[in-house]
Amino acid sequence: MTDTRAIVVAPQRTSAGGRGPRPSRGKPASRRRTLTAYLFLAPFLLLFLTFVVGPAFFGIWMSLTNWSPFRDVQDFVGLQNYIDLFTPGTVTSADFWKSMSVTGIFILASVPFLVVVPLLVAILLNQRIRGATTFRTIFFAPYVLGVAVIGVIWGYILDTQSGILNHLMGLIGLPSNLPWTVDVPWVWVSLVGVTVWWTMGLNTIIFLAGLKGINTDLYEAASIDGAGTRHKFMNVTIPGLRPVMTFITTTTILASANMFGQSYLLTKGGPGTETRTVIMYIADQGLSQNNMAPAAAMSYVLFAALAIVSVLNFRLQRERVEKGAK
Amino acid sequence: MNKPWARRAIGASIALVIGIAASGCSASGAASGGGVTGDGEYTGPDVNVTFWHGWTGGAAPTIVPELIQKFNAEHENITVKAVPQEWGDITAKMPLAIKAGKGPDVAVLHGDDLATYAAQNLLLDAGGILDGLGYAAEDFPKGVFDKGNFRDAQYAVPWSVTPLGLYVNKTVLAKAGITEIPTDEASYTAALEALKGAGVAGEWVDGYVFTGTFEFQSLIWQFGGDMYNEDVTEATFNSEAGVKALTWMTDMVKKGYSPANVAQDGNIKALISGETAFNWNGVWQTTNTAFDDLDWVAAPVPQIGDEKAVWSSSTHWVFPENKGQDKNKTAAASVFVKWMNDNSLGWAETGELPAANSVREDPALLEQYPNLEPFMSQLEYAHYETVSPGISEANAQITLALNQALTGKKDPKAALDDAADKANQIITQNQAKYGD
Repeated sequence: MTDTRAIVVAPQRTSAGGRGPRPSRGKPASRRRTLTAYLFLAPFLLLFLTFVVGPAFFGIWMSLTNWSPFRDVQDFVGLQNYIDLFTPGTVTSADFWKSMSVTGIFILASVPFLVVVPLLVAILLNQRIRGATTFRTIFFAPYVLGVAVIGVIWGYILDTQSGILNHLMGLIGLPSNLPWTVDVPWVWVSLVGVTVWWTMGLNTIIFLAGLKGINTDLYEAASIDGAGTRHKFMNVTIPGLRPVMTFITTTTILASANMFGQSYLLTKGGPGTETRTVIMYIADQGLSQNNMAPAAAMSYVLFAALAIVSVLNFRLQRERVEKGAK
Repeated sequence: MNKPWARRAIGASIALVIGIAASGCSASGAASGGGVTGDGEYTGPDVNVTFWHGWTGGAAPTIVPELIQKFNAEHENITVKAVPQEWGDITAKMPLAIKAGKGPDVAVLHGDDLATYAAQNLLLDAGGILDGLGYAAEDFPKGVFDKGNFRDAQYAVPWSVTPLGLYVNKTVLAKAGITEIPTDEASYTAALEALKGAGVAGEWVDGYVFTGTFEFQSLIWQFGGDMYNEDVTEATFNSEAGVKALTWMTDMVKKGYSPANVAQDGNIKALISGETAFNWNGVWQTTNTAFDDLDWVAAPVPQIGDEKAVWSSSTHWVFPENKGQDKNKTAAASVFVKWMNDNSLGWAETGELPAANSVREDPALLEQYPNLEPFMSQLEYAHYETVSPGISEANAQITLALNQALTGKKDPKAALDDAADKANQIITQNQAKYGD
């Protein structure tokens, strides 16, 4: 069992987030190498420019016009689309901010679980237990399923009247008519639960890689100093995982902010608009209703909000690192 | 990027890719000549006709290619190429494709989308084509042909209609000792009451498009109301009729005829699993293979209100006005449309009713698909979806109101009033967006 563990997490690092030695370089060789590197990067760069950078700039322009795909000439309207979003009473503002708050609630409700649960699972999997590889596969398996599959499976499980979950709850004497996909607050429990079950595998694997990167000497030293399991966890594991933790919280927040499929398929955004996330609303406005300019403006407001959250997150984590260093 | 060599290499590769992309965009010029003769024959040069449709499920993926193959074999100078894709993808892509001159030569659209396309000048005025093919409103069920009419021009040829009906699980109904299928308010309520006595919630009401919204629309028409005023400048679904309709639905839950908090599709699942007796659902469910083991029957929806009415959807053929649209292709496409409608008997296999009266009234149809009879019998009083550009966004407010009322967030009147306010805002916005 122990030897298989070493194979799964390929790059063994001496310290988490540490850098390998820089290769020494002579001038002519380095130039050729840089050229080669650019050539290899070119295809990706091209796709990146075409499908990410290009549309991003085009979107800014779009959000400043009354853009309609059906007119040949678009009128520049300045910041009107943004002003509308911040003016109560316009067609879009109330719905937009409602959907922003829905996404906010989802982030607050899901991210803690998506960080803590995978961390605990990773620590468990990192023990010398029988069948660790099998468990790793089991925990990761849901992640490879598409959201459409998830939606159908859980739709059956969570149905109010004929769902398996309510049936099982009824058997053990719990209420058997909970509206898991129909009414608040149950919809939130369902959406967070389904999301955690579905995506925790990825974070688990990353945490596991981080755990492998922590030098075992540190645990040994801590043991000699008389540290118990809890102290080892607080003083060795957590600091050792810090760079991984920053990465995971940031990507998890962004992933949760992009939540779309689960509520689109399971709750249809309901009851009413209680679980209509901002991505759902923007997609509906931009692609279904052809209100592309306001939708573009909304996505930039969302972008700004997420950028702020990400910067704050990085700041927070860096401070902790500095504090830890003292 | 401080290496000139690298910069040039990247520049060259970008130029190359753009060049490849551009060479793919050779415009198809409009050719003159050719046309359609009175008997529906195309006499022009050989053409390829591109056809977009969204029939990706059920029996359609086998039926459509068969029909097209047969058509192509019978028509030497026309080759139809079908491009099936999800309806949602069509909605997202087709307008832009048409604007870019890369759209199809013929397509099928849902009735409620027609005006949105027509308002954006994406469709050819098909008046002339229809005259050429000899089609008139009388050739289709009442009210369907006019759904292709927008600002006094006819843009579409009906293809299929899909009304709502009452699906009955006879085994469950028998538990309450009932053998007659209810047809009106009194008999329906009596049946629900009897079922309740037998411990069965008779009809599960949901607050989703499928099929709560369709039920609500059927009811509002039965109570003499409508979703919008005649020129669709104002939402009227919060009228007295609308409130009656929604209250009837929420009362179903209150009186214990329906459980609360039914999830989407919960009701059809319950009908199949024998937990409920009635389900208002579309004709498309007649092809549901899960019904095979069931003792079931379909009937017209009961008349709850003052008059008979039922919701129906419709699909239509349209001729996109691509940039530089080739007239020959459109002419050939119209021949294809006529041929398809004439040969649409087998379309009933997909759980839709062929719109062409000549085909639908052919006794052979009911012989082959007897389950369709109750749906066909409702067509004389069926109502179709509202025609107005961008109306689907306003319609979404109706579902929202239903959902809020059925989950107890608002009472029916308040929910409908709020939804109507929002719908009116959207209608105003649509008028600015699409012109009026």
